[in-house]
Order: sequence, then C-alpha cells, then structure tokens
Amino acid sequence: MSYNIKNSQPGNSPAGISSGDKWREWCDRHAGSFFIAPAVTLILIFAIFPTIYSMVFALSRVRFTGDGLQFRYVGFRNFEKQFFGSSEMHFLGRTEPVSILGMIIFAVIVVAVFWWLYRSWKTASWVRMLGRSISAAMAIFLGWILCASLLSGNSIGTLYTTLFYVLFGCAVQFAIGTGLAFLCSQPIRGKNFFRVLFFIPLMVTPLGVGFAMRMIADVTKGPFEPILGLLGLQDWVWSASPWSARFVMVICDSWQWIPFIFICMLAALENVPRDHVEAAQVDGASSFQIFREVTWPQVVPVAVTVLLIRAIEAFKIMDLPNIMTGGGPGSSTESMTLHSVYIWRANDLGSSAAIAYLLLILTVVVCASFFNYVVLGQIRKART
Amino acid sequence: MTDNPTKASVRFDGVQKSFGTVKVLEKFNLEVQPGEFLVLLGASGSGKTTALRILSGLDTPSAGQVYIGERDVTQVLPKYRDISMVFQSYALYPHKTVAENIGFPLKVKKIPKAAMEADILDAAKQVQLEALLDRYPRELSGGQRQRVALARAIIRRPSVFLMDEPLSNLDAKLRGHMRAELKHMQATLGITTIYVTHDQIEAMTLAHRVAVLEKGVLQQLAPPSEIYNNPANLFVAQFIGSPAMNVIHGSLEGASFLTNGAKVKTKVKGQIPKAVAGVRPEDCDVTNPGKGSIRGQIFTTELIGDHTLVTVNWGNDQIVVKAHKDFDGKQGDAVGVQLPADNLYIFNETSGERIR
Amino acid sequence: MKDVIVKFDPQNRSLMERLFEPPAIGKMAPFTKVAVYSFLAIWSFFVLFPIYWVVITSFKDAAAVNQGPNFIPFIDFQPTLDAWRINFTADPYCDIASIARQIYLLAHNSVVFVLSPFVSLQPMEPQICKIYLAFTNSVVISIISTIFCVAVGSMAAYALARIQYKPKFGNIMIFVLLILVVILISTYSGIPWWMSSAVALALFFFLARSIGRHFKMSLGNGDILFWMISQRILPPIVVVVPLYVMFQAVGLLDTHLALILLYAVANLPIVVWLMHDFFANLPIELEESAQLDGATRFGIFWEIVMPLTRPGLAATTLLILVLNWNEYLFAVFLATVKVQTMPIMVAAKNTGEKGVLWWEMCAVTVVMIIPVIIMSVLLTRFISKGVLLGAVKG
Repeated sequence: MSYNIKNSQPGNSPAGISSGDKWREWCDRHAGSFFIAPAVTLILIFAIFPTIYSMVFALSRVRFTGDGLQFRYVGFRNFEKQFFGSSEMHFLGRTEPVSILGMIIFAVIVVAVFWWLYRSWKTASWVRMLGRSISAAMAIFLGWILCASLLSGNSIGTLYTTLFYVLFGCAVQFAIGTGLAFLCSQPIRGKNFFRVLFFIPLMVTPLGVGFAMRMIADVTKGPFEPILGLLGLQDWVWSASPWSARFVMVICDSWQWIPFIFICMLAALENVPRDHVEAAQVDGASSFQIFREVTWPQVVPVAVTVLLIRAIEAFKIMDLPNIMTGGGPGSSTESMTLHSVYIWRANDLGSSAAIAYLLLILTVVVCASFFNYVVLGQIRKART
Repeated sequence: MTDNPTKASVRFDGVQKSFGTVKVLEKFNLEVQPGEFLVLLGASGSGKTTALRILSGLDTPSAGQVYIGERDVTQVLPKYRDISMVFQSYALYPHKTVAENIGFPLKVKKIPKAAMEADILDAAKQVQLEALLDRYPRELSGGQRQRVALARAIIRRPSVFLMDEPLSNLDAKLRGHMRAELKHMQATLGITTIYVTHDQIEAMTLAHRVAVLEKGVLQQLAPPSEIYNNPANLFVAQFIGSPAMNVIHGSLEGASFLTNGAKVKTKVKGQIPKAVAGVRPEDCDVTNPGKGSIRGQIFTTELIGDHTLVTVNWGNDQIVVKAHKDFDGKQGDAVGVQLPADNLYIFNETSGERIR
Repeated sequence: MKDVIVKFDPQNRSLMERLFEPPAIGKMAPFTKVAVYSFLAIWSFFVLFPIYWVVITSFKDAAAVNQGPNFIPFIDFQPTLDAWRINFTADPYCDIASIARQIYLLAHNSVVFVLSPFVSLQPMEPQICKIYLAFTNSVVISIISTIFCVAVGSMAAYALARIQYKPKFGNIMIFVLLILVVILISTYSGIPWWMSSAVALALFFFLARSIGRHFKMSLGNGDILFWMISQRILPPIVVVVPLYVMFQAVGLLDTHLALILLYAVANLPIVVWLMHDFFANLPIELEESAQLDGATRFGIFWEIVMPLTRPGLAATTLLILVLNWNEYLFAVFLATVKVQTMPIMVAAKNTGEKGVLWWEMCAVTVVMIIPVIIMSVLLTRFISKGVLLGAVKG
C-alpha cells in the first residue's frame, strides 16, 4: 500500500471522495490498531493464554484418557507436594536439622530485610510498599531455605541449584566478561578480530555446547586426561560429586554466555566520550584512576541492565544440565526447568506445571526486584 | 591573585603531522612568549586543533619538536608537561559535582582533602561559581559549565593553558560576555595561553598575537591590528574582518590597477597580469555615479543600525560598502564607489601573495 | 594552602607507575602489552578449543575416540570421513535430488494446508532421509519465522514509538477474566473450545463498549512496551504443555506453521525492544513532513522509516535468525515426526545403546554450527558499529 498524494487530499477530485479512498482513510485512521494488533494477538494466544491455562494444570490432577486429558481440581496439592510433601527433598533439598550457623545467618538476614522495609516505610507509597513486601517475603523465604539446607551442611534441591546457576554464574560471567571488554578497549591491534572471535560462542547452539563440553570433560577420553594424570587426579570423576558437577556446569555455561556480557560492555566502554578520558589524561590520572573515576561510573547503567538481561535468561537454563549430566548425580545439577521436564516425562502434568509456575514466580520476583531497586536507580542517576 | 611565577614559553620547531596520507600540519614553526595570549586561527581542517593536541601530548608529531620552557616535551606524556586544557565540549564528568570536577586534578595527585577544599573554593571564587559547588553539570547552564571547565584548568596553576574553541558552544550574547571574562582572567593570572578558534572576532579581541593557519601552513603571525591592517596574503585578508574584505579582479600595470574598464591608482608598483585588489567596506565610499573610481549598480542595501551596508554589482564582482546610516539608495540605482589608493591592497591572484 | 602546587615529576614515580605507564597517549607500556595480549590469547584458546575438538572428532573413527585423547590430525590419528558418510549418505534417499524433492513437497503441503477447507488434496509423505529433512525444516522454519517475527515486531515497535495508546485498565482485567472463564469451561465441561472462545470474544467487545466507557484509569505506551518486552521473562517450560494441548486440539501439532508462529512469538520481545529504540531515535520531522504531504501511516513506515533503519533491521534479523536456528525446547515438545529440526537430530544422537557415538554426533554438530558461525561473523560487523547499543543503554 503506497501513498498517493493526489488521492489522499479530500475534495481534490471533482466528484467527491470515492469509496476506495474512504476505505484507505478508514484504514489510516485505525493504523494504530492495525500496526499493533498482530503482535498483541500473537502474544495473547501463545503466551498469555497458555500461562493462564498452565495455572489450571497446576491446580489439577491431570490424567491421560482415551481421547484427551481429564482434569480433576485438587487445589494447591501439587504445590504442597513441592514444599512439604513427597517432592520436598527434590525441590528444596534436605532442610533439617538446622545448625547454629544456619540460625545465626538467618537471623541476620531477617533483621536486615526488616530494617530495609522499615526504612522505606515512611517515604514509599502504598503500591511500592506492596512490592517491597513481596521482595522481602521472597528474600526471607530464600534465606530460610539457604540456611536450612546449605549452611547447615545439608544438600540443596533444584530451587537452590537454579539460584546457584543464576547468581554465581552471572557473577563469574560478569567479572570475566567485563575484564575481557576492558582488555579489548585498550589500544590493541586486531580489536575487530578478537571481537568477532569472542562473539562466536554465544551463537552456537546450546545443545552443541552441551555435547562439546561433555566430550571435553570426559575424564578418560577427553583432552584433559593427560593433565589430570600429571596432577595425580586420574581417578577423579567430576560428575560423581554434586558440587564439582555444578561448578563444571557453571564453567560450561560461562563459555557460552561470557561473550554476551563482553560485547555489551565493550560497546559501553567504547561509548564513553573520548573528551572525558583525554581531559583526565591531561590532568594526570593513571589508566586505573581513569577507569575508576571516569569510565566506570558512566558504564554502570549499561552494566546493571546487561546483568539483568543475563539473569533473566539464566533462570531458563536447561540444555546444559540435561546433556552433560542428565541432571545427576541424583538430581544435584537439575535446574527447575529440567525438573519440570523430568516430571512431565513421568506423566505427572500437574506437578510439572506447578514447578514451572514456581520458576515463573521466582524469576519474576527476583528480576523485578533487581530491576526496580538497582537498574532503575542507576538509569535515573544517569539521565539528565 | 598574584602572578603565576611559572609561566613558560612555548615553541613549535618544524612540527609535521600526517594521518595516513593526509598531511595536516606542514613545517609548523611558532614561538610563544611567556604570559602571551596566542590565538591559533583557522577554518576547520586547517590544522589548528592538531597543533594544540600535539602541544598537549594527546597526539605525537610525525616530525619536529615541541618545547615548553626549555624542555623538549615531544615524547613526554601530557601529565608531565605542566599544562591544562579546556575542551570544546568542556568534558565535565557527569556523575561528579562541580566541586569534585574542579578538584579532580588534585584528587589524582592524592592531595589530602582539607587542602583540596581550600583550593577548590579559591578556584571557584575566581570564576564566580562558589554558590554552585554542590550541583551536577547537567543542572548548570552552558556558561556555568564553561566556567567549571575553566576552574578545573586553573586549579593546578600550570605553565601553559590550552583552550580548544571553548566559546563555540555558547550562544552569541553569552559569548561576548565570556570573551571579556576570559581576557580579564588571563591578564590577571598571566599564564601563557594558546587558544584555538575559527571565529575571527575572538581572535581579534582576545589575542596578543594571532597565528593564522590554512591547510596546515602558517599564513601570518602578528598582533591583531597588524593582521587587520597589514595582511600578508589574500587568505588572511579575506578571513579577518566582518563583513569580509572586498575582492576585485583585474591586473596591475605600473602604478595602476586596471579592472573592467576602470583604472585605479595604487600605492604599489608592479606588472602582474592576474591580480586582485582588496579594499575593506569601511574604507570605500558611495558617491554619485560620475564621481567614483568605478561605477556600478546597487544590488541591495541593508540597514545595520549605525551604518548601512550597500552591495554594489560591478562587472563580475560585488563590492560591499559601509555607508552612512541615512543612505537612501534603492536596488537598481547607479552609484559610484570611491576606492582610495591608501587602503587598497594588491594581491597576486594565483599565489595570493601581497604585493608591497 | 596556596602552596600546594600540583606538578608531576617523571623522576618521582612509583614502581607500578614505571611498569604500567604508557610511553604516549594511545600506546601501551611494554609490560601492559604483554599482560593484555596474553590474557586475550588465553581466552582465544579457551573459545576455539571446544570448536576445534568438535571438528576434529567428527573426522575420527571409533578407535581414535575410545583410545583416549588424540589432539592433532595426521599425527595422533588418521582422519576419516566415516562419521560424515554414516550421517549424510548412508541412509536411503540421502542425496541432492531428495532435497529438491523435499522443497517441492513443502510447497505442495503448504498449498494443501491453505486450500484444505475448500479442496481436498492429499498431502504427500516425503521420502527422504532424516538428516536432510531436519536440515530443510530448520532452514525453512528459521527463515520464515524470522521474517514474520521481524515484520510483526517492527510494526508494533513503530506504532509504540509514534502512536499514543491508552488502553483502559478495566478492559484488560475483563479480558483476562474472560480468558480464565473460557479455559475453565473448556476444561471442566463438554463445550468445545471454539464455541466458548467465540462467545467470550463477543462478550468482551460488548462489555468493553458498555462498561468500558466508565473506566478511568488507563495505561500508556510505556506500559504496553514493558509488557511486550517482559514476555521474555516467561520460562518456555510454563507454556509448552498447554501449547501441546492447544495445538493438538487444532490439529496443528506436527506442522511447520505451529513452529513458525511459536518461534516468532518467543523472539518477539527482542525485536520490539531493539526496533523500538531505533524508531524512537529517528528525527520525527521526516515523518511529520511526509504526513503534511498526505502520506498514510503505512506509507511512511514502509517508504521512509524502514529504509532509514536498515542496519538495525539487518542486525536484528541476523540475531533472531540465529536464535530460531538454535531453538530446541519448543521443537522437542511439539515436533514429533515430520517437522523435526536440526537440534532434535543432534539430541537424538545422545541415546545409543553402546553409549554416545561421539564422532557421528560431532559431524551433525558441525553442520549445525557452521551457518551460525557465518551469521555471527556478519552480526559482529553490525555490532561493532554500535548499532545495537542504544537499546541496552535505555
């Protein structure tokens, strides 16, 4: 549909406006709806509708019958199973007994959270307090699980495995990615070469990465075998112990995702105005001082945004643990998505949906909290 | 505020700079006296900013040396040259307050906080910013930001000030005001200042001496009055002065300038088939058609307020004349223009050289 | 205090300064150079080694893999084309002719699908070896899905950048409520889904017209944008099971169309986010002057705005193309036989009675990775021009 200058001016044709023009005009007036309708419709049908439908799954006991699915409403039983019932060990990990250390740290967390709430009580509006209460509740809940399971010397479940992948993984990836970006922003030759090279892992199929890493990490046939032999570790199998398996998972995930942080931070570092850096150089600052005082403060808004995006993607991790260890040993490298997939394969659709929903809630609360308290603050500080 | 005891001289010695195959500066020689306000004047691409950056140490010359005082600083980092620079964009750190911006050079040297605060207040007072020390750059106006940049430059008491078109981001009214302030400040502090600009008014008003640059070559180095009244070549003559000097094409024969049928007496003698005569608008007069050296037609008249600018078409040239404010000629009228021999500059058209 | 003169003295430098200070601005000190290049070299090795390992393993045979690590071809082991042969030429129907046939079949089946309400044509069962089927499926689905996604997303992003929307909060609540009602009715009673959906839709329009007038609170463009972009937070696992049920009810379960639509929706937030930034940064005067000349919205969008954002559009398209090519979760749930894509083929190599046949798997992985590497090289050229940075800053 191309525009036609003559026809779209009313009154130009002596006989008045033809019906073809009326139609075109009507379309143009409602262009707003036409432009946005496809996107909105698609999202409603393929994202919103299934999400709500999934809630129905989570609240029912679903059975396969001859010609489809049969739903039976069971309330929150599927959710209860994850927290208190048969799935508790799988999901939350072993939470008893709680050690003294666990108790102390939990007390510290609770006090910190309440103090934070109290401080914002005076200045925040009704809606904001509601949001902060949700964040606080999630923080206390996660703190309790952490203290009861990990800090008490017990094993952790898929909930905390996922959080481990997200928090520890993102921290490592951010540190290394930013470091690489800093190195590449120096006056080096072949900057473009490194940029292209370092970008490749991000685009490789996660599945392919999983397989490649599994091959490489194989202690008998993989390339590390001679090195492990030299170190006297030839009997060590990384996939036999939960924590080493998780660390290997983080390493492999980092291989894939550090490029993302690298590219974004490099672009941000290069966008710091050259004038600022030169002024600091003339005033006598060393490279380190320039980075700390001039470059980094201007890069922080991008940094926290990048961190948020990475965290959002990190919660969905599934391919790597699936391929490399099948969730093992036991279920110690299972992320929540993988947990849900395995339960689905065991034909318990209700619990599968319940876990998926718990992941959704966890992701939304954590990411929204981070966005509101950290990202928005930084962006507001940076904007004029 | 006492005189700065460490003002230094500056010398460019055969400095050349090329970026790839493009030669930006050619055999640049320049000596600046201690305490002098030197303006590097030129159009964009003339090499003036490059010369300043080479002096500051942000770029290194392809050939030649740079001296500050007696020291050869060609290969020395900027921070050891004892210079300060004010950038065109001011380069204020947006996340630091005005006080922190001004104090940054001291912070870099790890001066203790108490001493820093006193110096910051002192520098701020000199630019009348003491009330704004807690603001952020984004909350300041253009003129205020410029003063912050100035304060940051003077706080270290350097031997040389470098300024890269600091007034070009201000609106016209503020520019005039800041010009006066800059001149006053430099005279008070007495620090050697190298100032880069493309605005010839700034050059005329601020400089002790002006260095006119074009395509990387120094055209003339002289005080403003000399540049104005005694231009070395056609480029300088046309660059300085507002409105620009009139240019009439013709030829020089003996002591007369022949152009388009008219013959004008000149003070210089020579035999140049392709010559150009230059005369400033305020040096010629409009008269009756029969009386002037040449005769033409009014193209347009513009009343400035205290005078009228009359543009006269003559042959292939246009001449702008400053006439009395009550001049009543109209477009199309025939007029004569009087070209006095005393204020007629003759140039060789091909080389641009001034004939003396 | 005026005696505090701040001068730097080259003779008076600390050890750190001497080591790390550059000789001139724009250069690095020798010590710094060594440190920087060595870190970059280490990371380059880290990046390249897995890819190298995969590539050479695809040229190994069973013995070379099982004996332990063999690093260098021709020295540690003899490269063979076994894995490649087994994967790509051993099965019946594995040749170029069958690829041509496959494309023809795709076209034929699409025509059948479109015309099927009116004409009954028999879809032809493709006789083709699995790996080529998967490859073609991947290519076709990725490309079509990318074009569709970028088109829909750009239009929505442009509209959000230029047109003001004010949806009423109350209307949205009504809509969500009606969705819930439709789902409950379809699940727990016998009414077919299309009937309850149609009734609910009609009810929504009626209610929006009547009650909707009285709602005061409305949302703005920023909220709609946030809603679209935040769909990315939704873990796909939440929606796959219901989508499986939905697609099965509509009969779209093993079709290309289902995957195309789904991939488009999965990546729509990214397109909207990136393109919105481009459109918002275009000077509005260009469009205003076209409007004064009498152009329609779509005319401005197609003739003026899109050409101006070509680099951003190209970068976004490449990014989405790669993401669609790599997509695995949706494919594994929703594609069973006919529409299998390459990632599924790669994953299928994971189950072997004798353990994973690494060399075969690597051959398939190499085929998957090569297009991606090419695309990512292209994409980096765009990113290095700072084309996509604006979105991240905001």
